[in-house]
Amino acid sequence: MMKMKSADMVTGLVLIVLGIAMVWGGFVMDRLEIRRIHPASIPGLVPMGIGAAIALCGAGLFFTSWRGADKTRIDFGDIRILAWTAGLCSVFALLLVGHLPFLVATFLFIAAATTRFGWKEGLGLKGNQRQIIYAVMSGAVFSALITALFRYAFLVRLP
Amino acid sequence: MGTIEHLINAVGTFTTPMMIFHVAWATLLGIFVGSLPGLTATMGVALLTSLTYGMERDAAILVLICMYVGAIYGGSRSAILLNIPGTPASAATALDGYPLARQGKAAYAMGLATAGSALGTFLGIILLVAIAPPLAAVALKFGSFEFFWLAVFGIIISGQLTADGNALKGYIAGLLGLAIAMIGSEGIHAVVRFNMGMPELNGGIGLIPAMVGVFGFAEVLTAMSGNDGLAIKSEKDSSRTIPRAVDLIKYRATIIRSGIIGTLVGIIPGVGEDIGAWASYTAARARSKEKELFGKGSQEGLIAAETGNSAVVPGSLIPAITLAIPGSAPSAVLIAALFIHGIRPGPMIMIEQPEIIYSIAVMLMMATIAILVFGLSLTRLFVTVLRVPNAYLMPIIFTLCVIGPYAISQRLFDVWVMVFFGIIGFFLRNMKYPMPPLVLGIILGALLDKSLRRGLILSDGDVTPFFTRPISAGFALLVVLVVLAGIPAVRRRFQRFSSSGHISE
Repeated sequence: MMKMKSADMVTGLVLIVLGIAMVWGGFVMDRLEIRRIHPASIPGLVPMGIGAAIALCGAGLFFTSWRGADKTRIDFGDIRILAWTAGLCSVFALLLVGHLPFLVATFLFIAAATTRFGWKEGLGLKGNQRQIIYAVMSGAVFSALITALFRYAFLVRLP
Repeated sequence: MGTIEHLINAVGTFTTPMMIFHVAWATLLGIFVGSLPGLTATMGVALLTSLTYGMERDAAILVLICMYVGAIYGGSRSAILLNIPGTPASAATALDGYPLARQGKAAYAMGLATAGSALGTFLGIILLVAIAPPLAAVALKFGSFEFFWLAVFGIIISGQLTADGNALKGYIAGLLGLAIAMIGSEGIHAVVRFNMGMPELNGGIGLIPAMVGVFGFAEVLTAMSGNDGLAIKSEKDSSRTIPRAVDLIKYRATIIRSGIIGTLVGIIPGVGEDIGAWASYTAARARSKEKELFGKGSQEGLIAAETGNSAVVPGSLIPAITLAIPGSAPSAVLIAALFIHGIRPGPMIMIEQPEIIYSIAVMLMMATIAILVFGLSLTRLFVTVLRVPNAYLMPIIFTLCVIGPYAISQRLFDVWVMVFFGIIGFFLRNMKYPMPPLVLGIILGALLDKSLRRGLILSDGDVTPFFTRPISAGFALLVVLVVLAGIPAVRRRFQRFSSSGHISE
């Protein structure tokens, strides 16, 4: 678990960099002189203002957390399960969808995720047989239902 | 046409068998979404928006409003039965609802919550019909200068009120939302900004993928890494479900006060139902004759919290319809849905489509009737559904998070946007950055950008009209006051000053 104070200080620094980058991006943005636009309507004006405000708030966050005595810790929950969830969801959304037919991708994801998250530690493959059967059935039923709903009821051309 | 004619027409439109069928399924779905911890009203409305894409306009808006009302109400189920608020809006409900359930009065607590929600929404509807038309008329006087300040005020007040003790984090969330809104083609000269070499970003970041990520995927990550399952058994309960009229009459002042507080909180941009519930609960506790019961199973506290959060729903739709500025996160999605279905919310609504306000009032009324019917009749079923473990539910929810944003634009890029915002949203939420200002920033970015530059063109680069026009000056003053109130040192000095003044009296 990370300390909130350290996280705020790092975030403050990141925001200062982001803000300065945005100010610079707005400053060097095309000013459309060739189109003779009003100088007060240049596209980079508002990004520069927002960038400056972000940098200012970042500096404020850095200094208040640096001087403060916040000892709270950030609780991300069970990191192992979090990593599994983020991993499985990312593989499904970024890799499987678009490369496999949606029905197949959804079946694989629901079956795998339900098996993993319902897995009872220490019971082994035999002890989790019922869970696996349920996960496969859940994957088959819900992938078919969701696919049919979007394809036939809402006329979406699925990936 | 007058108010009564518009209302009669709307009642005629929305009482056909097909519309009643839509009300029934959408409200029921909303109640289930709200009652399942990890699924919020915003997520429900955002996911359902993609499902309403092919529907006829009135039916689509009806379905989304029923989902919104149902989900805010549904949060009370798990708050009372499991002590786990189904949505953040129901956190105050759990304080007294769960102790009542522990005393064997779960069914009666749910009955009171149902009555409170219905009365809160009803009060909000009356205020919606009364306030929205004159507010739209006032908004017609708004020019670029006023809209600029309105956008700034929205971000500042939302950041201030939704931050968990540190207003700076609320402002940062709002500014990040504004920065995201700067991506893509800008609205005056059509120059593409910050697309980082990706042509997919030329049109900007879609609101629905961003919201599904921040509220959907982030919730899935939170639910999976936190509580493992929901299988908590409720106490044995033999109480009646239908609330006694004498109890409702006894707490009539609390109901009316909470309804008004909830609606007013709803009108404030980007604040939302949880603040409405807490503000109503705090006010009820301060004025109650039975203060000692609060937190230990007070019926008054339960009614105040539920009336307050439900009244926010119609309240949040007032600025959403008349100014195109959402009063809460779910109403932000509703604005996007209104645009998708050909309705242009904003000051011109009373001229272009005056019937919309009355149609929405009737939709809210029908959703209220539906929560009364379902809330009082399906208590046992809810208890069963609440026992579905996250392991079985969350993979299905994430599948909907993926296909929902894809269905709107039919491009995979929006799925990647959803994943990106989900991961960012998860970390920001755990670091105590509120999400409503971020979403409000994405929505208000274009308005702020165009209003500032248009204003400067009109005044030939002179900034004084931003401070000298009466409405602009009022907003500027409000922004300064809100920012000052967010600085702890200023707040402490003001408290010292006011307490010393009080003593000298």
